[in-house]
Amino acid sequence: MTFEIPAQRRYAESHEWILRRDDVVRVGITDFAQDELGDIVFVELPAAGETLEEGTEFGVVESIKAISDVYAPVSGPIAAVNEAILDRPELVNEDPYGEGWMIELETDDSLDHLLDPDQYEEQIQ
Amino acid sequence: MAGHQQAVWNDSESDGYEPLLAEKDRTTVDIEYDGLPEDLTRDSISLPALSEPEAARHYTRLSQMNYGIDSGPYPLGSCTMKYNPKFTEDIATRASAAVHPDRLEGSVQGTLQLYAELQDYLGRIGGMDAVTLQPPAGAAGEFTGILVAAAYHDRNGEGDERTEVIVPASAHGTNFATAAMAGYDVVELPATDDGRVDLEALESAVGSETAALMLTNPNTLGLFERDIAEIADIVHDAGGLLYYDGANLNALLGRARPGDMGFDIMHYNVHKTFATPHGGGGPGAGPIGVTEELAPFLPSPQVRQGSDGYELFEPSESIGKVHGAMGNWLVLLKTHAYIRRLGDEGLEDASAKAVLNANYLASQIDLEVPFGPFHHEFVASAGEIDAADFAKRMLDFGVHPPTTKWPEIVPEALMTEPTEVESKRSLDRLAAAFDAVDKDADALESAPERTSARYIDQTSAARSPRLSWHALSGEE
Amino acid sequence: MSQHETTLSTATSRSGTPFAPHSEADVEAMLQAVGADSVEDLFDVPESVRFDGSFGIDAASERDVRRQLTETLERNDSVTEFLGRGHYDHYVPSLVDHLADRSEFLTSYTQYQPEITQGFLQTLFEYQSLLVELTGLGVANCSMYDAATALGEAATLSQRIRAVTGDRVLVPDTLLDERRAVLENYVSGADLVVAEYQTDGGVVDPDEIAAAVDDDVAFVYVENPTTSGRIQPALEEIGTHLADSEVLFCLGSDPVALSLLQTPASVGADVVVGDASTLGLGSAYGMGLGLFACREEYLRQVPGRLVGASEDDRGQRAYTLTLQTREQHIRRERATSNICTNQAWVALRAAIHATLLGPDGLVDLAKSCHRLPQRLAARIDAIDGIEAPADEYPTLREFRATVEPPASEFVSALYEEGFAVHAVDEETVQICVTDANEREIDAFVAAIAEVLD
Repeated sequence: MTFEIPAQRRYAESHEWILRRDDVVRVGITDFAQDELGDIVFVELPAAGETLEEGTEFGVVESIKAISDVYAPVSGPIAAVNEAILDRPELVNEDPYGEGWMIELETDDSLDHLLDPDQYEEQIQ
Repeated sequence: MAGHQQAVWNDSESDGYEPLLAEKDRTTVDIEYDGLPEDLTRDSISLPALSEPEAARHYTRLSQMNYGIDSGPYPLGSCTMKYNPKFTEDIATRASAAVHPDRLEGSVQGTLQLYAELQDYLGRIGGMDAVTLQPPAGAAGEFTGILVAAAYHDRNGEGDERTEVIVPASAHGTNFATAAMAGYDVVELPATDDGRVDLEALESAVGSETAALMLTNPNTLGLFERDIAEIADIVHDAGGLLYYDGANLNALLGRARPGDMGFDIMHYNVHKTFATPHGGGGPGAGPIGVTEELAPFLPSPQVRQGSDGYELFEPSESIGKVHGAMGNWLVLLKTHAYIRRLGDEGLEDASAKAVLNANYLASQIDLEVPFGPFHHEFVASAGEIDAADFAKRMLDFGVHPPTTKWPEIVPEALMTEPTEVESKRSLDRLAAAFDAVDKDADALESAPERTSARYIDQTSAARSPRLSWHALSGEE
Repeated sequence: MSQHETTLSTATSRSGTPFAPHSEADVEAMLQAVGADSVEDLFDVPESVRFDGSFGIDAASERDVRRQLTETLERNDSVTEFLGRGHYDHYVPSLVDHLADRSEFLTSYTQYQPEITQGFLQTLFEYQSLLVELTGLGVANCSMYDAATALGEAATLSQRIRAVTGDRVLVPDTLLDERRAVLENYVSGADLVVAEYQTDGGVVDPDEIAAAVDDDVAFVYVENPTTSGRIQPALEEIGTHLADSEVLFCLGSDPVALSLLQTPASVGADVVVGDASTLGLGSAYGMGLGLFACREEYLRQVPGRLVGASEDDRGQRAYTLTLQTREQHIRRERATSNICTNQAWVALRAAIHATLLGPDGLVDLAKSCHRLPQRLAARIDAIDGIEAPADEYPTLREFRATVEPPASEFVSALYEEGFAVHAVDEETVQICVTDANEREIDAFVAAIAEVLD
């Protein structure tokens, strides 16, 4: 089975993807992660305005038989939360890199410490 | 391979099977009562109003849409589903058993005598010095045991320091949840390749923060922890206590006792070891046994024989209470009756036959069964087949499937515990069911076909929870 | 281990368990199949921890065990109980026993394979629905152990709700010692502390609540009726006070009381706990059925099992355990509770009993629980030497009466006449009357008159 790993993004070992959009970064979970979990039935996200520290858990993704924490790949205040996935958690399965995004963080920090697509692909093999 | 067909009651007026009570009738009664001020009563109540014959039919049909150990084999690993002798029910429904919990001790000598006797039996069976019957289930027993451990460390002035409970990675989920509920940090202990406790990992996990190690023996794979004496030394040398999860005690009756192995605290699962009915999820009972040193911390009240008969007393440093009364008394009464019926030789024989059955069944199925020889259970691998799908197909053969996907040390695990109550013929049929499922992968897709309901969509149930008939009819 | 080998060689005789069906030939064939000489060889127990002793428990025939245990139980004094205090008896119709004892229900496990356990799942779904109707709250679980443990679970729920920031659990000064003791243990690991607020014999003054509640309070518990039977006169005002705060408002009650009294939802309660075995079981030495219902918004934080409706692959409605990621077998140390086995079969009994009563029967039963103590109190009050009721608050099922001190003497004398009541303090007793003992009222009143004569 092959999983989508878009270029132009960075990845965390804990299976989050990170995409810079001007002064914010958008965070979600990877295609591999959603597939491992199976049908996602519930997503818990923090409120906008909270400030996250790199490496701390900020949300939970649940399938029927498994739960997974989602970790902040960088530090910064939460600029936006994708409320759509709270009502329709299946979006995370259907479009993990698009409509299934989770939060946006305000940060200028470098993303260089995170995995590039090749490194992430190696990790999940 | 022969199968079965579970009852299907289908009512053309409903979109399901046997209609809900509320779909048969829902009558709204306005509350009119001049005995109380109007603002202290509710306005109305809306519930089904059925005649007795209609109610009898409803629940009889529902019972036919349910599978129990009296229906057929139920080899759920770790859950220990065995035949529940019916005479114990007759004792538990006697009016003289249904006394009020506030009755004074002098007026319920019979009840207290049975409590005292059962405390004594359990102490002897587990090799423990004192036993409380108060915890109403195994998980409540764990909670009680960890509270006892906490009280012991507090008394020794080490309560603030000992903040960790060590739990093997393959332990029951309750162990982790219990430790957390009692306020402890959980330290997960990795296993060796054969699923046993890794002594080196244990050595490095224990320390001055260790309050207790929770362990079941034989473990989840049905393997005895042969290093148990050394494990006990390691934990005790670090100042911690050793807790025995009694889930698998039914494998050892008369061969080994937790108290002799060095355990300080244990709980008994009376359903698993002493054949009280599981009742579709409870009630159970989770008595705990402790060493003499820990007896002063047990919940209150305890029962003992005094000079004027049986009496209640509060242990000197009691943790207080874990149940509003004396636990699940009727379940305890059935436990007492079962132990008396079997006696020493019957209990020993129950373990012998449980172990024989597990090993025999493991030898008769074609699936890969790593490890062994086993005690009361084994874990087979469904191999290329998803264990959950494997289980659904087994339902079509008139047997309940094993526990699936746990422990994770075996891929696509089928954790199987036939118990002592299956005959050789029954085990042969069970083995044939395993093999029939294994050899007909095409049938997995549509399974189960012979159960009251077909494959149930759990995802939509969790995405849009509908937990009452109010939610189904969109009333909320 | 010759002792065990003897057991096996006589496996078909009466010395083994009567509940294993193996013939001697079966045992031989099975040992051969696994390649062992004896069953003892299969026990992988090191010599150092082998148990070679005996338990000293004699086996007995079914008939003898029944006789012995029955005889022992008969050592309980045969008296008529006018006891309540949180544990209540109502007449349980025969059909409840007959249906609940159907072995497809009684001998089944938790419904981890829903396709083959639809019957029990539907019953639990209907039980949840009954509680939703009675409480007016959106969610009810499949049960906790009893009223005391349900209260403990409700208190710790407050810590999992983000909006609640306090750490104090407020309970009435009349809370039963046993419930308080269980609550203390449940909150011990959760950084919560239990504190009391003042009541007038259990009756809660809303101003007292308003004064007691500050930012440090997480949870307020009120009972209606109280365990002395009193019906709260001012729940709505209490609910209004608490609605402005983030405090969790928990009400203690039971299904019979809830059939007549104000619904918890209508007075702003967030959680309801109590003993639901007032239906279906009665006071089996305090074995209970923990009622737990709460607002739908706390759904993900609910302890214990939940049954939900879904569909099977033919599109027919079916039921399944749901939201299991809250539970210990998946979430482990972060589970909402460690509860696994609950009181499912007692819930089944309560559901059947409620079905047999129907809405009219439930309401009539509750009304009788209000009328009976009034009538009995009036009859007792006519006797010299006892005043009943001790105060004028309306009550359900029970009431208090004042006697010449010491009350314990009165209680003992009445016991000698064959009636059990509670001694509360030096001059107060508590008497409980329901449909279960109402036919003994005449004899009870006569006995009181006799004792006080």
